[in-house]
Amino acid sequence: MKNRTIARYEGTLKVTGQARYEGEMMPEGLLHAALVESPIACGELQSLDTSRAATLPGFATLVTHEDTASLKPSAATALIREKAIHFHGQPVALVAATTLSEAREAAKATQASIAARTALTQMGQALDQAYEPAMVGRFPASTRRGDSAKALSEAGLVVWRRYTTAVNNHHPMEPHAVVCWWEGKKAVVHTCTQAIFGTRAMIAHAFEMPPADIRVLSRYLGGGFGCKGQLWWPWMFWAMLASRKTNRPVRLELTRAQMFTLVGRRQETAQDLALGFVDGRLTAIEHDVIAQTSTHAEFSDSTAVYTRFLYACPNVTTRHSLVRTNEPQPVPMRAPGTAPGTFALESAMDEAAELLGIDPLELRLNNFADQDQENSRPWSSNSLRECYRVGAERFGWAERRARSAAKVGRWKIGFGMATTLYPAIRQACRARVALRVDGSLLVQCGTQDMGSGTYTALGQIAADALGLSMDKITVELGDTGLPDGPFSGGSQVTASIFPAVEAATSKLRAALASIATADTTLPLGGKPPEDLEFADGMIRSRSGNASERLTGVLARAATDGLEAEGESPATDHQKLAASGMGYGAIFVEIGVDPELGEIRVRRVCGAFAAGHILNPLLAKSQYIGGLIGGIGMALHEQAVTDAATGSILGKSFADYLIPVHADMPAFDIAMIDEDDPHLPGGVKGIGMLGTAGIQAAIANAVYDAIGKRIRKLPIRIEDCL
Amino acid sequence: MPSSFALACHNRGRTFQCHGDVHHMTQSLNANIPKQSIALSIKINGTRYEREIAPTATLLDVIRDELGLTGTKKGCDMGGCGACTVLVAGRRIASCLALAASFGEADVTTIEGIGTADRLHPLQDAFIRHDALQCGYCTPGQILSAIALLAEGPLSIDDIREGMSGNLCRCGAHANIVAAIAEVGGL
Repeated sequence: MKNRTIARYEGTLKVTGQARYEGEMMPEGLLHAALVESPIACGELQSLDTSRAATLPGFATLVTHEDTASLKPSAATALIREKAIHFHGQPVALVAATTLSEAREAAKATQASIAARTALTQMGQALDQAYEPAMVGRFPASTRRGDSAKALSEAGLVVWRRYTTAVNNHHPMEPHAVVCWWEGKKAVVHTCTQAIFGTRAMIAHAFEMPPADIRVLSRYLGGGFGCKGQLWWPWMFWAMLASRKTNRPVRLELTRAQMFTLVGRRQETAQDLALGFVDGRLTAIEHDVIAQTSTHAEFSDSTAVYTRFLYACPNVTTRHSLVRTNEPQPVPMRAPGTAPGTFALESAMDEAAELLGIDPLELRLNNFADQDQENSRPWSSNSLRECYRVGAERFGWAERRARSAAKVGRWKIGFGMATTLYPAIRQACRARVALRVDGSLLVQCGTQDMGSGTYTALGQIAADALGLSMDKITVELGDTGLPDGPFSGGSQVTASIFPAVEAATSKLRAALASIATADTTLPLGGKPPEDLEFADGMIRSRSGNASERLTGVLARAATDGLEAEGESPATDHQKLAASGMGYGAIFVEIGVDPELGEIRVRRVCGAFAAGHILNPLLAKSQYIGGLIGGIGMALHEQAVTDAATGSILGKSFADYLIPVHADMPAFDIAMIDEDDPHLPGGVKGIGMLGTAGIQAAIANAVYDAIGKRIRKLPIRIEDCL
Repeated sequence: MPSSFALACHNRGRTFQCHGDVHHMTQSLNANIPKQSIALSIKINGTRYEREIAPTATLLDVIRDELGLTGTKKGCDMGGCGACTVLVAGRRIASCLALAASFGEADVTTIEGIGTADRLHPLQDAFIRHDALQCGYCTPGQILSAIALLAEGPLSIDDIREGMSGNLCRCGAHANIVAAIAEVGGL
């Protein structure tokens, strides 16, 4: 597989404003929808007074839990089938009207009567009611290897601290939207989703329809980061019901404020972490996580999962527990689990290094895990030590002692580092390729491009497999009419599509080779297929000077072109011979103004090893984007619930701060190419790696600069004063 | 809405035509139920459009929903993200905070008006080469904001960062965006 820089496939469409996002469809007769929200956090809906709303100009219809009774019960319909109010801002009805402002007016004019109950509005109010979930994602919630209690009692040094992380919201720049209509018994659903096939399956279940009667489209997606998934479905279902009731297309688009409450968030955590050392080696780890989930659904990040195997340690105990509150439901968000989990673990490692009087980087090298101890198997590949070495060298980590607590103008300078990691796994995938007689190629796969570069990756993999230039490639994705592709999440898409596209294109290569070699009077006649290579629009013999243009071969015996499908299975976790994991080492330099408490990240060096990199240009963009997300979590982002009402305070970008241009440090990205024979094409995911590790690196740098150990995120001005 | 309405009128002059008098319109605003429509004649990307619009309609909603120019994006609808940035007489504004009715004599430029696939604006070309976008949703606003910013005469990379900070990006394309702008601006 080639590693090459190719400009973003759909870049021209995006810079000219021609890429049409799904909420921008404008079918004839379109109605606009708005949601009626509960003003309290806990209770039961008694009645809805729509008498005034129904008289307002443009009013078309109202959809409530009563309409939803026609949908089949499931986790996705529970919230809209029942009258229970679980959180402040929970929609109790959807109104559709001729224009958006008319819909909003009608929503405002709809009066909900709700019997209030006492709400639990913050995790701290009910820590005694914490319970252990069955699973955290695909991992067990609790694990115990060896005897950590005994090892801690015998350790020469114990670091035992509590670390906390705040609620973050995903906030893709494109708010969730759906434009949907019915064609007889068939549904057409244009919506921003990270999972078109999952969305189709849930519509099929809820509306009790054959999946073939539902078309879900998500061809351009204005970001997602984990929130364009299942929590959107109930509101999308309501828009579909409004369309069915009115027999008109309906558009529902969330407001930015609703993005704080309706589509998920990164859960807050309180993490108790104990590390035990004997002679600088980890002998015990205990990692206990308490996190928030809602009263209507359960979710736990895999926060302590990575603690189970990042370092070599014979005695490891981890636990996750949840507290139910009347707050919005959490879902995975950018580097789920690893971002909060590494904040605790990598902060504690820094504290341990300080107490042991050893360089933090050296402590990590000394505790490197040369195999996956949790699962008793080797790594498929692991270049973490190379990440440490390359990152430290490029960053100038060795200058740390000399430069620590130095001043540059008003800034006290601090260096910090931390490790990041994320599993390399795949989903099942199918892909179709169609080669036309003019040598152009259509590549189709029903996955989505969240902005991560999936259009480009699909095109590039297929182009390389057949030796075509990118201008010959057309990529189609984001439509359930295409072969089933993976959902966009968990850094899995590129790794999942690679083997499927490879399987499809290898069939085309075989068909082309058979045509090219059939006629012995032609240059490639009689050559063995394995002697042929595909490059520059030609089929060439590796052993001699013979070659033929691809178009010539097609014109001779495949004038209708050639088509093939390929498929590949998901990772079989039960049968893995080796654990696949991507790694990185993050080094940061920060400045803290000790008078003002202001914190600036000055520069970041990330050295990442994540298998084979397809396109360094796009990979670098993704790494930097991930790091910026991590800076947001470290220094900016925090959604706060008002204890009295359960409402989220300041539901706007004026109050929920995210990193902006002026916050940007200088970035240096090192990509360490790995050969990984265990993974198809040697591809590991890269999307999540940048967003973990950097939080601890920043906290460790703050300590280096001003001597204050801050064990909570975000780190704010007031923490540094 | 009344305060932004007043602000827009004050800033731009009363350039709209109204069916019924202004007093009447104010009443309907106060009643919070805009019943009337007004005739808007607006020039966007050199083309004049005539539409009947709600007097309270924002420039953003008219551009996207009435005229179908969906290259201008709605990210927050309250002036906090910059995705709706358009140029009015070369200056950048948040079109979600602008009352469409007050832009009747303005010369508005949206992303559709600065370049096409065949004839890209230098900034559009630089954005592609620097990979200054991922999901692309903030991109039109970033590019229009950058065009106006370069006309404002930034002197340094820090000026670009500061001047572009009203345009949020969530994928994290900032570094490449600033590199693309700096290249076109010769900084």
